[in-house]
Amino acid sequence: MRLMISTTSMVPIYEQIINAIRAQIISGELKKGDILPSVRSLSKDLKISALTVKKAYDCLEEEGLAETVHGKGTYITAENSALLEEEQRVEIEKDLEKLITKARQFGFSKEELQELFELVSEDF
Amino acid sequence: MIEVKNIIKHYPGFELNCSLKSESGRITGVIGQNGAGKSTLFRIILSLAKAEEGTVVIDGQDIRTMRDQDREKIGTVMADSTFSGYLTIDDVRILLKQFYPTFDEGFFVTKCRESGLNPKAKINDLSTGMKAKLKVLSAISHKADLLVLDEPTAGLDVIARDDVLDLLRDYMEQNPDACILISSHISSDLENLCDDIYMIHNGKIVLHEDTDRLLSDYCMIKADQETFEKMDKQYLLKVKKEPWGYQCLSNERAFYQENYPDTVIEKTGIDELMLLMIKGETV
Repeated sequence: MRLMISTTSMVPIYEQIINAIRAQIISGELKKGDILPSVRSLSKDLKISALTVKKAYDCLEEEGLAETVHGKGTYITAENSALLEEEQRVEIEKDLEKLITKARQFGFSKEELQELFELVSEDF
Repeated sequence: MIEVKNIIKHYPGFELNCSLKSESGRITGVIGQNGAGKSTLFRIILSLAKAEEGTVVIDGQDIRTMRDQDREKIGTVMADSTFSGYLTIDDVRILLKQFYPTFDEGFFVTKCRESGLNPKAKINDLSTGMKAKLKVLSAISHKADLLVLDEPTAGLDVIARDDVLDLLRDYMEQNPDACILISSHISSDLENLCDDIYMIHNGKIVLHEDTDRLLSDYCMIKADQETFEKMDKQYLLKVKKEPWGYQCLSNERAFYQENYPDTVIEKTGIDELMLLMIKGETV
């Protein structure tokens, strides 16, 4: 698997692994059912502690992106389309949050904002 | 699995008093200065020295009741012992085959070739790096459950050190249930090999932490007099006065990054960490 980490970065190594794997699922490089390298093997390749790799795999599992079958390995369970959708949703949510914060600062009420939203939506 | 419990051993002017533990599937590192007690600890684990008090249990068995067959499941490298210089690598192979019923001759021969060790070469004619590789290969060629490696990288240049560590990484990949206990005074070696690290100083364990946490949560804070005085000191482990202010060691990097965004906060290597643990003062 193509995976690079920076040991000098302030981003924790396990997060770098998660981000890299998530990016590869979205790009389609990793597909549902693909098996990830064993904890020991990735720890060897990246020259990092096995516990760090394990932590990353556990997080992937918690996020529902991968699943570990005892004695077999860790598999990708997420479809890239589903993840992509999720990712896009989060992005839109963030933009909306920004917009709402701005509207509040300008003194717009919720109804006024909704009205404006409907109005602008119709133009598209 | 290995558990060392409250081992005590005295030498003139020195007391070893420590406990440590490592599990199957784990690489545990022991770092410390020369004379900190690493080798004494390893000699006790291997029954080469006797502790005055305390116990060592390997895979559920007290080392005092171990038979030869049990000891065969341990592979070891001692810092200052080697095979006779007049033997060739082939002779070593024949010796090991006699020593260990589980000796994997094919593995040994292949790995020797990969490492550039000529079977006909006399040990006396090998470079320091080659000798070190041979010692490690001898330790890992009989499918040991536990490897006890005392300074296997001592005296090696950076390339040879990396080769030796790669042998160990391969070993763990092939034998995921094995356990390695390894010491070094070159902490960077252990930083990218071990899962957890014990720091030993004057015969005592002064720090035990997962490498993951050492690298992600520990940090060095550089603060001038004024910042230092105002700083919340509850998560500072050690402090050292410097000409420009204070160098502080903490294991809560996120806390200080969030609350003191304008202060220099750096990741620590294990070397700096050891320096501050030993030379710094408790807050």
